[in-house]
Amino acid sequence: MQGKVLVVDHEKCTGCRQCEMVCSVFHTGASNPSRSRINVIKWENVGFYLPMTCQHCEDAACMSVCPKNAISREENDRVTVNYDLCIGCKMCVAACPFGAMGIDTKDRKVIKCDYCDGDPQCATFCDTNAVDYVDADKANLKRKREAALKFSELMRRYVGGF
Amino acid sequence: MDSEPIHPIRNVKSLRPQQVWKWEIAIYLYLAGMGAGSFIIGVMMNWFGFSFNPSKTIVLWGYPLGVSKAVLLWGPILVAIGAPFLILDLGKKGRFLYACLNPRTSWVARGFLILSAFIIIGLFILVISILPFQSLSEGTTARLVLEIIGLLLALATAIYTGILLKSVKYVSLWNTPFLPLLFLVSALSTGSMGIILSTLGYGLFAPYGPSFSQMINTLVGTEQILILIEGLVLGLYLLFRYRAREQGESSILLLVMGEMRILFWGGIIAIGFIFPVLLEYLYSNFPDYPILLFATGLFLLVGGFFLRFGILTAGIKDQLPMHKLIEIEYNLRSSKKLFL
Repeated sequence: MQGKVLVVDHEKCTGCRQCEMVCSVFHTGASNPSRSRINVIKWENVGFYLPMTCQHCEDAACMSVCPKNAISREENDRVTVNYDLCIGCKMCVAACPFGAMGIDTKDRKVIKCDYCDGDPQCATFCDTNAVDYVDADKANLKRKREAALKFSELMRRYVGGF
Repeated sequence: MDSEPIHPIRNVKSLRPQQVWKWEIAIYLYLAGMGAGSFIIGVMMNWFGFSFNPSKTIVLWGYPLGVSKAVLLWGPILVAIGAPFLILDLGKKGRFLYACLNPRTSWVARGFLILSAFIIIGLFILVISILPFQSLSEGTTARLVLEIIGLLLALATAIYTGILLKSVKYVSLWNTPFLPLLFLVSALSTGSMGIILSTLGYGLFAPYGPSFSQMINTLVGTEQILILIEGLVLGLYLLFRYRAREQGESSILLLVMGEMRILFWGGIIAIGFIFPVLLEYLYSNFPDYPILLFATGLFLLVGGFFLRFGILTAGIKDQLPMHKLIEIEYNLRSSKKLFL
């Protein structure tokens, strides 16, 4: 994978939902979270917040179910909707396992993250850097480091001697 | 004492039933299934030699029109009525013709082609059975080939309604080969009931032929077997989906014991299965009261719609591994609280 990707760190997210606001303002001009391309899933009683947005999957379910090939992958691996071709059948909304495809009921069209054409507003405005726009290689390194840290901590706790 | 831990993921967006497909799609699934099923049963009846004798003809503008075959072959009209409901569901309704352009991977596009072909060929068969065409009349090879193609397309249409839902892989309730099978059996049962009703309706204003009662008896017998098979398939479907342990279980619980239990027990089980079976049993004891059969038909057809509507609106998307992890962490934490 090349280019940059959105990376979400759920441990930094405070659930303020600023990303939803700036996303909808950027795309629609209205401050309306229901028209946002990013959604914060909240488990209030465990204090857990997870911003969910399009993963631009390698084998994207939305692409394969689209009856008109309106969803396609660009050269920089971004998956986008071509609104000149979209017929609004909502098959992609049903098919996406992440719930990242949404429906804008006002504009009567499906919506998904398009990285704001290279400058994702959610990452720019996120105070805690829970949503970050980084190089794909770097994102992978970060995940590997986190996994290794967790593993070493587990070993220290249950096996000892590290 | 700690109160019982609240389920951490209850009332979270991703575990609610899907909101994408609503009643328009349920009506389409129902009409397409019933139309295709009735066409299959009608063509079969025609092949096995059940026909109205004497056949009734209406003379319109000097042409004799044989309406008795139309009583068996009206299925494509229902499919043609059901298909516009799909267009009604589209965001951009004017672009519905685009829907057929990616049949390589998309089941919507494949379905568009199957349905269009069935509507065209089915309506053509219906029209030539009414109009006095010599070259395509009963018994010619061309007619037989046309009917076989129509039958295969009807079968594909009935199964396709299930495959459309099955193609949404991340809804456990739908992602099973039992769903196309269930919709096929339900299509045949509602379709044959449609044929029974149209035959009875025809009998009200046309002269009864000698084979009329035999025809009704055969149809009712077939119908009873189909209801039993449908009940069996529905039971197996629910059982296997419950044991799928993913959100299939949540969907089944939502249907059987949750918010949708009235729709399930009242609409699907009582109206769709119990009433029709009881009324048909009554009819077999009192065959002089065709009103019993009309009532059976009404209940069964409404039940067929509720079956589609229930399965459509109870679909819950699978949880992501992330969600599962959170749930496990939460449960571990609450169980620790209980023990310490």
